[in-house]
Amino acid sequence: MVIKKGKFTIEGLENVQINIGKVISSDEEKEEPQGPTPAPDIHELRDWDMRLLKRYEPVYSPICDLCCYCTYGKCDLTGNKEGACGINQEAHQAREAMLRTLTGAAAHAGHGRHLLNHLIERFGADHPIDVGPSNIKAPVTQTVLGIKPETIGDFVPVLDYVEEQITQLLATTHIGQEGSAIDFESKALHAGMVDHVGMEVSDIIQISCLDMPKSQADAPLVDVGMGIIDSTKPVLLCIGHNVAAVTYIMDYMEEHDLFDKIELAAICCTAHDMTRVNPKAKVVGSLSKQLKYIRSGIPDLIIVDEQCIRADMMRETSKLHIPVIATNDKVMYGLPDRSNDDIDDIINDLASGDQPGVLLFDYDKVGELAPKLVMKMAPIRKEKGITALPSDEEFKKLASSCTQCGACVIGCPQGLEIDKAMEAAVEGDLTLFEELHDKCIGCGRCEFECPKDIPILNVIEKAAQKVIREEKGKVRTGRGQVGDPEIREEGVNLVMGTTPGIIAIIGCPNYPDGSRDVYEIAEEMLQRSYIVVTSGCSAMDIGMFKDDEGKTLYERYGGSFLKGNLLNTGSCVSNAHITATTIKVAAIFARRDISGNFEEIADYVMNRIGAVGLAWGGFTQKALSIGTGCNRLGIPVVLGPHGPKYRRAYTGKPYDKDKWNLLDARDGSVHNVEPAPEHLLISAENKAELMPLLAKLCFRPGDNNLGRMIKLTHYIELSEKYLGVLPDDWHIYVRSEADLPLAKREKLLKVLEEEHGWKIDWEKKKILEGPARKVDVSFQPTNVPRLCKGASE
Amino acid sequence: MADEFPFEISPMFEGERVRKDDMYVELAGPKSKGFELVSAVDIDEMEDGKFTLIGPDISDMEEGGRYPLAMIYRIAGELVEPDLEAIVERRNHDFQNYIQGVMHLNQRYDVWLRINKDSIAKGLNSFEDIAKATMMLFRNELPFIEKIDATYITDIEKVEDELAKAMERYAARDERTRNLHDEDVDTFYGCSLCQSFAPTSVCVITPDRIALCGAINWFDGRAAAKVDPEGPQFPIEKGELLDEIGGEYSGVNEVAQKLSGDEYNRIKIHSFFEFPHTSCGCFEVVGFYMPEVDGIGWVDRDYTGMAPNGLAFSTMAGQTGGGKQVIGFLGVGINYFRSPKFIQADGGWNRVVWMPKFLKDKVLADIPADIVDKVATEEDAQDLDTLKEFLKEKDHPVVKNWGADEEEEEDEESTGTSTAMPVFGMPDPAMLQNIPPMIGGGGGIKITLKNAKVSIDKIILSSKK
Repeated sequence: MVIKKGKFTIEGLENVQINIGKVISSDEEKEEPQGPTPAPDIHELRDWDMRLLKRYEPVYSPICDLCCYCTYGKCDLTGNKEGACGINQEAHQAREAMLRTLTGAAAHAGHGRHLLNHLIERFGADHPIDVGPSNIKAPVTQTVLGIKPETIGDFVPVLDYVEEQITQLLATTHIGQEGSAIDFESKALHAGMVDHVGMEVSDIIQISCLDMPKSQADAPLVDVGMGIIDSTKPVLLCIGHNVAAVTYIMDYMEEHDLFDKIELAAICCTAHDMTRVNPKAKVVGSLSKQLKYIRSGIPDLIIVDEQCIRADMMRETSKLHIPVIATNDKVMYGLPDRSNDDIDDIINDLASGDQPGVLLFDYDKVGELAPKLVMKMAPIRKEKGITALPSDEEFKKLASSCTQCGACVIGCPQGLEIDKAMEAAVEGDLTLFEELHDKCIGCGRCEFECPKDIPILNVIEKAAQKVIREEKGKVRTGRGQVGDPEIREEGVNLVMGTTPGIIAIIGCPNYPDGSRDVYEIAEEMLQRSYIVVTSGCSAMDIGMFKDDEGKTLYERYGGSFLKGNLLNTGSCVSNAHITATTIKVAAIFARRDISGNFEEIADYVMNRIGAVGLAWGGFTQKALSIGTGCNRLGIPVVLGPHGPKYRRAYTGKPYDKDKWNLLDARDGSVHNVEPAPEHLLISAENKAELMPLLAKLCFRPGDNNLGRMIKLTHYIELSEKYLGVLPDDWHIYVRSEADLPLAKREKLLKVLEEEHGWKIDWEKKKILEGPARKVDVSFQPTNVPRLCKGASE
Repeated sequence: MADEFPFEISPMFEGERVRKDDMYVELAGPKSKGFELVSAVDIDEMEDGKFTLIGPDISDMEEGGRYPLAMIYRIAGELVEPDLEAIVERRNHDFQNYIQGVMHLNQRYDVWLRINKDSIAKGLNSFEDIAKATMMLFRNELPFIEKIDATYITDIEKVEDELAKAMERYAARDERTRNLHDEDVDTFYGCSLCQSFAPTSVCVITPDRIALCGAINWFDGRAAAKVDPEGPQFPIEKGELLDEIGGEYSGVNEVAQKLSGDEYNRIKIHSFFEFPHTSCGCFEVVGFYMPEVDGIGWVDRDYTGMAPNGLAFSTMAGQTGGGKQVIGFLGVGINYFRSPKFIQADGGWNRVVWMPKFLKDKVLADIPADIVDKVATEEDAQDLDTLKEFLKEKDHPVVKNWGADEEEEEDEESTGTSTAMPVFGMPDPAMLQNIPPMIGGGGGIKITLKNAKVSIDKIILSSKK
C-alpha cells in the first residue's frame, strides 16, 4: 500500500490501536467558553489597539531622522519629507519602534524555543506543567490562544503561533509594505503581546522541569554582589539568560561535591535562574557588572548562553586568559565547534591558550568540562598573576595623564563627570570615583573616546575597590507565578483600598542616577503598602542596599502577592507572570472567561486594576517589548529618561475631554470620566518627577471610594514630598468628599472651594457641586461597545 | 492639616515599628496597664473637641520610661448609638498608627503604644496633639460623629479604676454581639464594595453572617450605612420571612434581583444547595459537596494539599465566585463557621465531613461537641475511600443517608448520588473524578467508530531491515 498525504478511506478496522494524546471531559470544555479571538492574527485585535491609540496618541522622538533600509537611501525624513519608497517620518519611527519590540519578542521566543526543544528531549513532551497551587496555569497563553496547556508538549503549538506572528510582523518592515504609522503601532502592540506568550512558555517549562520555586513566597534568599565572590577559589562565571547548559554544570558539581571547591556565579538572568534551580549558586549582579567583572580578572572560566552578552567578550577575555565556552548558537563569536571532541583535548587547548574559547552544544560535556577546566585554570592564572586592574602606582600615573578634555564625559551615556573624578584622584581623593562606580553602567564607551588611551573603566574599578568589596546584598530567588490563592487573599486589600496599587519594577540597569534609585523607589512604595513586583536586573539591584540594621528589602518585606510585599518573579522571561497576575484578577474576581478573550480582559485590566510598570533603566529591546506587551493589556508603563530613545511614547491628553468617554456596561450609556490612567507609555526625567507619577498612574475609573481615597493620599503626599507642591490636577480625581485623603479633608475642601469654585456644605462637610461625575460603585466602565448589555458593536 | 500638628499623618506610617533603641516612652502594653474605650453619650452632655489629661504628660515623662495609658473617647450625634462604639474604637488603632513616630498595637485592654525619640525631637510633647489628631481623623471618616471629646489618663490608680469600668462595658458589648441574631434586627446590610473588581457581586451581611471576605460584620455595615446610606454599604429591609431555616427574606430577594441585574432573584443566606449566597473572589474558605458521601467538605486557601475529592483549593475556588450562584461550591469567611446558623438549611455541622486540620483547629471551639470528632482532616482521610471508612467508623450523621444500597453505588457510580440530592440539578463534582487517566491505558474499553474521521499529524515510514 502506498501512503500519501491526503484523505483515504478505511473500510474495516481490526486490531487497531488509536493513541489519544489527551482526554478532556466535556464539562471542562463547557467551563471555558472560547472568546472571539483565539490565537489572533495581526489584524484581529486591531480594533482594541485603535481604542487605545485614539486615547493614548503616539508621540515620536526620532533619535535618527534617516532611513537607511534600502539602496534608494539613505533618505532624510525631516521637514515632512518622504523617503524614496514613500514612507514618512512618522511611519518610519513607528516602524523602528515596532522592529525593536519585535527584536525583544524574538529574543524571548527564541530562548523559549531552545529551552522547549531541549526540555522535551530531556524530560519528554508529556512532562506535566507544575507552577504551584493554581487552577489557571498559563494565564497569558490561555488569554491569547485559548489553549489550556497541561504538559510541556502542549506548548509546541503555542510557540508555533508566536513564531508565525513574529515572522508576519517582521515581513511588514520590508520595503513597500505597511505605510501607516498607526498600523505599525498596532503591530508593535501585537509583538508586545506575543512576547508575553513567549516569555510565559519559557518560564513555565523551566519551572516545571527544573524544579524551580513554584509560586513560593518564601523562596530562599541568595547572596548578590561583586563583593560576595571568594576569589581564592576557582571562579566559574556564567553570563546570559538561558539556564539549560548551566544545569548540567550544577548537577555535576552536586554529584562530585564541588560546591565547596568552586565559586559558581553568574551575571544577568542566568544568575536568577541558576539560583532558582540551586540556591548554592551566587549572583554577581546585573548586566552593568559584566565588563567590570571580567576586567577584575577574577573569573577563571566564562560560560555564555544568549541575550545581553557583550559582543566584545573574546577581546576582553583573551587578554586575561579567561577561556570562554559558548553554549548556544545565538552567540558563537567565530569560535570552533568542539561538540564532538574529547573533553580532555578541549580542556588542554583552552588551558594552554591555544584556543581562546570553544563552542560546545553537548551539555553533558559542558557539565563535566566546565568544573574540571575551571579547577585547572585557577592555578595557571594565579601563577601568571593576571589582573586587568592597574597597580597603585599605575593608577596614579593613569589619573595624572588625564588632561580633563571631557571627551569621555560626552561619550558617556550617563554624562558622568569622569574628568573631575580623575582630577580628584590625582589629589588622592577617591570619593568621586566611588560614587561614579555605582552610576557607571560599565559600557566602556569612554575608553574609545579618550585621546590618551586611558583604560578608564579599569581606573574606575581600581578606585572603587573599597566599595566593591562591600557590595554584598541579598535577593530572593525568583518565585515564579502568583498563585490563585494569593490573589484571593489580596482581594480584600484591593477592594478595601488598603493596597493602593501594584508597581512592577522591571528591566535593565541603564538608570539615570545609579542603582540606588530602584532601591529607594521600591522602599518608598513598600512603605506605602503598594505591592512591588520585580524581576531581572532590577530585582538584583533592589537587593544591593541595606537599612540601618543591615537588612535588604527582601529581608524586611514579605514575598507574597500582598500589600506591602516585595516579589521577585525571577528572570526576564518571568515578567510574563506580572501580566498574568492581572489576568488572574479578572478571572478570579470577575469570573471573566479568559480563553481567547484578550480584548475583554485588557479592557477589565485597564479600567479596574491599578498596576503600573516601571522600566527605570530600560535599554534593551526586550525591555521595550515587555513594556509594549503590558500596554496592550491596558497596563501603563513608565520609562526612565533614556526612554525617548525607543522613539515613541503613548501619552494621554487630560485636557481633551472627548478622549475620556467610557461606557457603562450595564446599559451602554456614555460617561465622561477622569483621565485614568493618564498615560500608557511615558518617560520621567528624574526620580522626583517619577514618584507622584507612579501614584497617579494607579488611578482607575473603577476605583471605589476607599481605593480612590488611598490612591489620592499617596499621589498628593508624593508630590508634596518630591516636588514640594500640591499637584495641579489632584482635584480632577475627586468624585465626592469620601475620595479625599482622611488627614487632609478639611484643608482640601477649602482648596476646592477657593481655588476651583466647588460648592461645599460645611455643616456636613459634603461636596455639593464641582466633581465631573459622581461615584457609583456599580458602574461598569468599559471601552468596548460589544461588552455592554443589549448593545452590538 | 498636618501643619497644625508637630508630626506627619499618613497611612504611610502604618507599618512603622518603634524598636527599643528608638523608643522615647512606652505606654500601656504587657508590662503596664491601659485601654482604649469609645462611649456613645448624649449630645448635650459634652463639649466638642475637648481634651482632658489626668496624670503626667509626655513632657513630664522620662526618656526610656514606661507608663500606663487609658484613652477614653466620647462621641455624640443624632445617628450615634452604642452599637457603633466598637466600630469607632477599632479605628483608634489605625489612626494612631498614621501618626509618624507613634506605634499602636492591639486593642481594648491590650493596647500597647510607643513613641519614638525622633518625634519628641520634632516637638511632640503633649498627648493633646495625639488626641486631637485622632479625633480629627474619627470625624473625617465617620461624619455621623457630631461631637467628640477625649480623656487620656496616665495616672496608674485612675487607670485601674476606669479599666474596671471599661471591662464591664466590653463584656456587655460582647454579650450583645453574641446574642444578636438575624431575627433580632429588621435591617440587614448589603455591601457592593467588591463591584470595583467583581461587577455583580453583592454581599448580604446579617448578625449571623459576616461578609465572606471576613472584613465586614453587621455592625460595620451599620456604621458605613450611616456615613453614606447611598454608598457601597447600604441597609436592606428584611421584609417578609420566607424560609426561616434557609434564611430567605423578601427584602433580600428584591435587592438581589436589582443589584445582580436580574441575574438571580432569590438568596437563602444559610443554604449551601438552594439559592446560595454569591461570592466575589476573596473568600477565605470554599465549601464543596461530595456526592459520594453526601457530605460537605471545606478547604481554606492556606491548605496546599488535595481535598479527598482529589481537588485543590484553587481548583474548587475556580468553580465559584464572580458574583454568580454556583451550586455545589460555596465561598465563606472563616467567621461564618462560628455562626449558630451555619448552613443550617443543609444540616449545619451535621453535614460537614472534612476540613484541613489547621482550619478545624482554628474553629474547634465552635464545632458542636457531638460532631467534633466526626469531622475528618487530612490526617484521617486523604481520599474518598479513607473518608468513607472514617465516617462509617465514627458514625457520622451523613452515614444514615447513605442507605442500604451503598454497595451497589460503588459499582454504578453514575447513579450513586441520588439518595440525598436536592430536587434541582446539581453539577456532579464526581464527574471530575470520572475523567480517565491522562494517557490512554486502553484497559478494556470498547470503542465503536461511526462516521469517524481519524486525522493523523504525521506518519513516518521507515524501511524494515
